[in-house]
Amino acid sequence: MDMTEVPAFVDIFSLVNLLLQFLDSFAFLVLAAVGLVVIFGMMGIINLAHGEFILVGAYSTTLAAVAGAPFVVAVVIGTLTTAVFGILLERSILKRFYDRPLDSMVATWAISLMMIQGTRIYFGNSITQASTPFGSINYGPYSYSAYRVALAGVSVAVLIGIYLVFTRTEFGLKARATIQDADTARAMGVNTERIYILTFGFGSALAGLTGALYAPTLSMSPEVGQNFLVEAFVAVVVGGSSVVMGTSLAGILLGAINAFFSNVYSTFWGRIALLAAAILAIRLMPYGITGVIENIRDRRRAGMSLRESLKIPAVTVLLGGGSND
Amino acid sequence: MTEAVEKLRSAFSALNGPNTYGNGRAFWTAFAVGLVAVFAYPMFVGSYSAGQATLYLLYGFLGLSLCFIWGYCGVLSFGQVAFFGVAGYAFGVVTLNFGAEATVPAALAGVVIATVVAAALGYFMFYGGVRDVYVAIVTLAFTLVMYTFMAQTAGREWAIGDARLGGFNGMPGIPNITLGGTSFSGATFYYLVAVLLLVTYLGLRVLVNSRYGRVMVAVREDEDRAEMLGYNVKLVKFVVFTFGGTLAGFSGVLYASWGNFIDPSVFALSFAALPIVWVSVGGRESLIGAVAATFGVQRLDQELAATGSEWALVIIGALLLFVIMFMPKGAVPYLDRYAKAGLGWLREKRGAGSDREVKAVDSD
Amino acid sequence: MKGMDRRDFVKATGVAGAAGLAGCIGGDDVGDDGPTVGIIEDRSGNFGLVGTPKWASTRLAIEEINEDGGILGEEIDIFDPDPQSDNTRYQELVEQAIQEYDVDALWAGYSSATREAIRPIINRNDQLYFYTTQYEGGVCDQSIFAVGATARQQLGVVIPYMIDEYGPDAYTIYADYNFGQLSEEWTRIILDENGGNLLGEEAIPLEETDFGSTINRIQEEDPDFIVSMLVGAEHEAFYDQRLSAGITDIPIATSTNMAQGYGHRRLEAPSMENVHCGVNYVEEVDTPASNEYVDAMYDRFDDLEYVNQEGQNNYFSVYMWKEAVEEAGTFDEDAVKEVLQEGMEVDAPEGTIELNGATHHMTHNMRIMRADENHEIDFPGEPEIIEPTFLEEDIGCNLPENPEERQYEPFGPDSPYEDPFPDV
Repeated sequence: MDMTEVPAFVDIFSLVNLLLQFLDSFAFLVLAAVGLVVIFGMMGIINLAHGEFILVGAYSTTLAAVAGAPFVVAVVIGTLTTAVFGILLERSILKRFYDRPLDSMVATWAISLMMIQGTRIYFGNSITQASTPFGSINYGPYSYSAYRVALAGVSVAVLIGIYLVFTRTEFGLKARATIQDADTARAMGVNTERIYILTFGFGSALAGLTGALYAPTLSMSPEVGQNFLVEAFVAVVVGGSSVVMGTSLAGILLGAINAFFSNVYSTFWGRIALLAAAILAIRLMPYGITGVIENIRDRRRAGMSLRESLKIPAVTVLLGGGSND
Repeated sequence: MTEAVEKLRSAFSALNGPNTYGNGRAFWTAFAVGLVAVFAYPMFVGSYSAGQATLYLLYGFLGLSLCFIWGYCGVLSFGQVAFFGVAGYAFGVVTLNFGAEATVPAALAGVVIATVVAAALGYFMFYGGVRDVYVAIVTLAFTLVMYTFMAQTAGREWAIGDARLGGFNGMPGIPNITLGGTSFSGATFYYLVAVLLLVTYLGLRVLVNSRYGRVMVAVREDEDRAEMLGYNVKLVKFVVFTFGGTLAGFSGVLYASWGNFIDPSVFALSFAALPIVWVSVGGRESLIGAVAATFGVQRLDQELAATGSEWALVIIGALLLFVIMFMPKGAVPYLDRYAKAGLGWLREKRGAGSDREVKAVDSD
Repeated sequence: MKGMDRRDFVKATGVAGAAGLAGCIGGDDVGDDGPTVGIIEDRSGNFGLVGTPKWASTRLAIEEINEDGGILGEEIDIFDPDPQSDNTRYQELVEQAIQEYDVDALWAGYSSATREAIRPIINRNDQLYFYTTQYEGGVCDQSIFAVGATARQQLGVVIPYMIDEYGPDAYTIYADYNFGQLSEEWTRIILDENGGNLLGEEAIPLEETDFGSTINRIQEEDPDFIVSMLVGAEHEAFYDQRLSAGITDIPIATSTNMAQGYGHRRLEAPSMENVHCGVNYVEEVDTPASNEYVDAMYDRFDDLEYVNQEGQNNYFSVYMWKEAVEEAGTFDEDAVKEVLQEGMEVDAPEGTIELNGATHHMTHNMRIMRADENHEIDFPGEPEIIEPTFLEEDIGCNLPENPEERQYEPFGPDSPYEDPFPDV
């Protein structure tokens, strides 16, 4: 297939194909990114061992499922194991890096190296995969993996969950206060150390959940986490540091682009389009979607009408130029 | 005569300044000893080991390129390997079309193309308002795009003249660098790279200790303040980033001719992380640290791999973690501090006679 | 001054200490002067899964030979570092094997990218080198003995079977790099030769794990069978998605899956149901020679997960080299190469096969390896000896006469083939 071919939107079924592909891509992007975004957005750490947090979730889920645990229980086990793992790592190593986020990249890269090889030494080159729940969705001559579509629902639930955690719980309130200004938060009596631990644990749990959910669909090798890295970083680039808003909008935007090009042209063009969109997005929105939204919010606060406040960022977005200079 | 000495002295003083570690007599003496060791090395180990060491030396340019832009201007690029790779491919394309005699124009082409790509990406970022850690993420995304794109160029349609890009399998048969009929390989290539690295290192020292170097450091320390003081911060970052691309490109050209081969793995995440590792281990703000750490880390990595031990990657990871945890600014600043303390202690013990020496060291 | 010495000293001791530490852990049995072979096969990184059986097989063969009194009365030393699936590291290690250990024969590399990365070094040093992975074919190189089955041999056994069994219409999906693209070209030729028909094809980027659109496109074309040249752990996600999309009833012909990465053991049944792989060997082959080899492998290596096709290729080629050395009466690489170039019959675990001296390729006992819904393996039909015809007959590669160092492609300028399906 090449790019000159006319897109094949011939019937309603092809549109369903496109929609399901979109949901699939959306879920993958959002779930790949959430753990990374929480740790990056809230703590400023670029976690290059993100893939290996996913590996912990995927392996523990798979081992539990293959040992006979029901799938949902296995997912919970995978998520919790990763949270505990993340907290242990934070306490023993990463807490030393809070004031030097760039060094944390090297530290997490080293951790990633050790974890991949450690997994290989301990578990061998692969472990037996768990089975994918549900069957297929059938329509016309086509079908689609029901589980992968269901993951879109899960990813939306996860986003809502994160939103609620950060807006409706005391932890969320304190976490946001700590992120905004740790010194003031401490002066106000917030135990910032504890907040860091919990935030890191929460981010780890999300990465673990991703690993758990995708465990039955991917081949279980020590490199399994590497599958998520490109999507995760691209989603962070486009979404920016806001966990819920940025990630979900990035998921929608990139998922649509990826689905369209994969579906109409080929998987290859889907991938190239995804990466190209990321680079373009950075030029137009240097701080990601988050930056654009904050800009609008600032203008609103400055007393502009909604209409007016949308106008300028829209122009910036279309014509380029930094929105956060 | 005295005029010549004066000139030499002023040239030497341009090498020293507050922006480099090691400015005193002790440093330069040790440097000279180290240099002799580097140049004597092939005579003791033979051509093969020299050839292997050449790889670590030529990676030195890549390490320096990141040290220069990150350590001195605060721009963390995750994409130095992209310029490295682009230059290597360009060198391959030109030499495969015009033969080994064209290595000099090919090397120039590679470096120029890497520079242009870096300039384009730098313009795109710095004039688009991309800052801080986002620069790292954008450059990483760019590198990964290059990887995906180059990996699929196996078809016959992906050829420039006689040179097939070769997709994932890469581009074999790239000739050695050839100057005036001499093909550089083994020990000769080692000396070529060592001399070039020495010149580059000294040149960068002059640069970072110059007025422009101080502006770079001002930008690193506080962009807004530098802007307020009237410096064109965007331009500074753009120029520095572009020059970083030139250095990385130079490294890529040498790499392609070292292995007579280049493939898309130069754009892979695992390779992209290496310069950051080298520079962090050696000390971000130390040029000599970047070169030494590049050499040390790669050498050790190779030694471990050669044992065939399954623990090799675990050990290398643990060592990196150890260095980064306990020497926050990198190994060279750490060692520098202890060296100074030790030196001071020695002088004190010996008494007043060596005042001048202590002063020279203290002025670092 | 003293301070600087100390700095250098600390650095030096640090490196030496770590290297020494590694020396205690690693285990290469390299002596000083005796004959040495290099085994540079991946045991970690992306190719660790498929490379480990190759490393183990080569080691086993050398150890067996040493127990049996060695070759020409000399014990064989082994240099077996771990290249960690990194091509630059391969270049360093191959150089080291040749220069420092002066290896008399070399087994190295899984992927064709690795082969290409080390080829300049091999050629420069005229190193006797065995490349044992099944591959796209076409390497006509005086220093390389490419003893694995080629795409033409593998697809040549499985595609005709699929056409007979399921119908003529095929849809091809392949990894978007050299191996996949050239195998795809072979698919076209072999389909055409056997009255098949190509409905469509898609190249899949190497790191892709999402196959939703691909499956939809396959369903749109509704082929009788799929030809798959997917590679690596990422692409294995296709089989799970194939299962959960419910298209396991469309049979698959492949040259890659199962025989190398033993997906039928690792993936959940029945995702590999109805997959047919053209192989020259896998551990399920049930002959006395095969069983003896497989038992020896599991006896020797406790952690071994599978004895794959490539492992066997390493194993028999070590014995082939031994025979050539004995016939030559010397380890001298040129002399050994000369003996090999006269052709040689080999009793391998897969059966009796023959080395074609002119092209450095092997005839192979090609089988169809089929997985059922429980991932049990059977081999429909009789093993079929397939000759490596492309280089000898179509290209005229004759290395003893004309020592080239090239790779030919099925639709390349020197090949007689033309694309039979130019519109797809």
